[in-house]
Amino acid sequence: MTLAVSRRRGRRTPVDWPVVWSIVRRDLTAVRRSKGVVIPMLLVPTLLMIVLPLVIGIAARRVSGPTTSISFLDAIPDRLAEPIAALPPQEQLLTLVLGFLLAPLFLIVPLMVSAVIAADAFAGEKERRTMETLLHLPITDRDLFLAKLLTGMVPALAVSWGGFAAFTVVANAVSWSYVDGLIVPNQLWLVMIFWVAPAVALLGLGIMVRVSARSQTSQEANQLGGAVILPLIFLTVGQSTGLLLVDLSVGLAVGATVWVLAGLLVWRGARQFTRDRIASTT
Amino acid sequence: MTSPTTAIRTEALSRSFDGRLALDGLDLEVASGEVLALLGPNGAGKTTTVRLLNGVLRPDRGAATVLGLDSTEDGDEVRRRTGVLTENAGLDDRLTARENLEFAARIRGFGAAEAARRVDDQLERFAMGDQADLPTAGFSTGQRKRLALARALLHDPEILFLDEPTSGLDPTATRDVTNLIGTLARQHGRTVVLATHFLGEAGRIADRMAVLDHGRLRAIGRPDDLAAELWDGIPADIDLGRPATSSVLGLIAAVDGVIHHEVRATGTTINVRDRAAFARVLHTLSTQDVDVFGANLRRASMEDVYFALENSFATEREPAT
Repeated sequence: MTLAVSRRRGRRTPVDWPVVWSIVRRDLTAVRRSKGVVIPMLLVPTLLMIVLPLVIGIAARRVSGPTTSISFLDAIPDRLAEPIAALPPQEQLLTLVLGFLLAPLFLIVPLMVSAVIAADAFAGEKERRTMETLLHLPITDRDLFLAKLLTGMVPALAVSWGGFAAFTVVANAVSWSYVDGLIVPNQLWLVMIFWVAPAVALLGLGIMVRVSARSQTSQEANQLGGAVILPLIFLTVGQSTGLLLVDLSVGLAVGATVWVLAGLLVWRGARQFTRDRIASTT
Repeated sequence: MTSPTTAIRTEALSRSFDGRLALDGLDLEVASGEVLALLGPNGAGKTTTVRLLNGVLRPDRGAATVLGLDSTEDGDEVRRRTGVLTENAGLDDRLTARENLEFAARIRGFGAAEAARRVDDQLERFAMGDQADLPTAGFSTGQRKRLALARALLHDPEILFLDEPTSGLDPTATRDVTNLIGTLARQHGRTVVLATHFLGEAGRIADRMAVLDHGRLRAIGRPDDLAAELWDGIPADIDLGRPATSSVLGLIAAVDGVIHHEVRATGTTINVRDRAAFARVLHTLSTQDVDVFGANLRRASMEDVYFALENSFATEREPAT
């Protein structure tokens, strides 16, 4: 028999879902037991989705006359400002902040959760020196990559959607006595939650997959990947200063752009995620 | 053609990293049920060999066939039938011993009940039942190695790749692990590739040794055979109760396969080409009524052979003066 190097790509086989979910389950069990991962992962959503709306609610109670939101309303387009400006002062503040300004800030949650978990799942595996063991198991490169993506995606969406559910309860509770009806969910929030947030979570994963390939520890990956938060800060600052307003159409466009970017990053990450490449760097 | 009893075969297997050749044209054949010790200093290419054989790395040149499968193209199928103990135990310290093993069992396709049964069996086999539900973070090196070995054996693999299985173990644990590997090979017919620095353990259980040096296979064979090449025969002592006389030395010298002989205070020391030649010497002395009080074929230890080979490699590398 002639032995020769064959470089043909692996044959297409269906995804082995039991194997994929076994990896996801193991990774999430391990993450759940890691305080260094869980605490920041829950702290930020708690502050953004529960504490912040509570503080806004308390602030609204103290408003008696015209508020600074009036001057902010001058900076935003009339089609957005007019319905809010017609409301009483307390309702203005609550509607503007809870129903409008916080929406882009919320995107920090899926981004942060997916990035932190991806760093643990990819670079952390090298750091704990468990990657080689995985590589010696009968898992295809594709299934391993898919499992690692799901390990980041599932909690990112769970925390985002769970956090949004909590935010909805708190925001509507604090504004109940001032606002006629529900402040959230509104159209902007729904776009953010179900269209932009999953895209942002995938973007975080895509970036961390690339960054983790160059890092030996999850801390190093987190530091290198920390810059992923910058576009969101611009978005939030733009929103709060009126420079860039994320309304429904902008939200849809931002979501589409992020999906494309994330898709490209994940596709490239998947192409480079091979046993050979990983084993060569561990 | 790979014979049905060939478990592993490589041909010109080569791999480099960043332009540095880690393995250079490895030609190797390992029979089913054989224990092969893969020896060499750090960076010799032992771990790279194991990774190539198990389809974790792709070769730059050449190919490897494991259990009749191409390691590169059928990597998953190869890995399904092999068990690997990496140098680092590779346990997730946030999981318990049981969870670490159950994860591997599930990946290997066992259902929940079967996985649990196999995990329990392995934990019992390695006397780790009491630690089953403890996180592995607090485990000693010995416990970690045992657990990793249990994981490698969960699916009853046909081939075991063991990379430094006893590093960091105390003497008792080293003996236990060595005995276990020996048992797996002798009683269960498993093929074992043992990459190690520890020559004592390798010598106890390996059938053959392969010595890698700077990525190249420099020697392969049974220690006795390699010793015979190195030292021009196998040394043996014959106790005659007094220095050998010239007539006795003449009898010995006439035996086919005797390379060298010299007188000692209690008899003679000879070098024979092989074990059969030694048997012929004893037979000749016996038929000639020479009293023989003891005879000992000094089998070269793997350690003796390895260091002799290392010295010869070092001499080769020295610049000519």
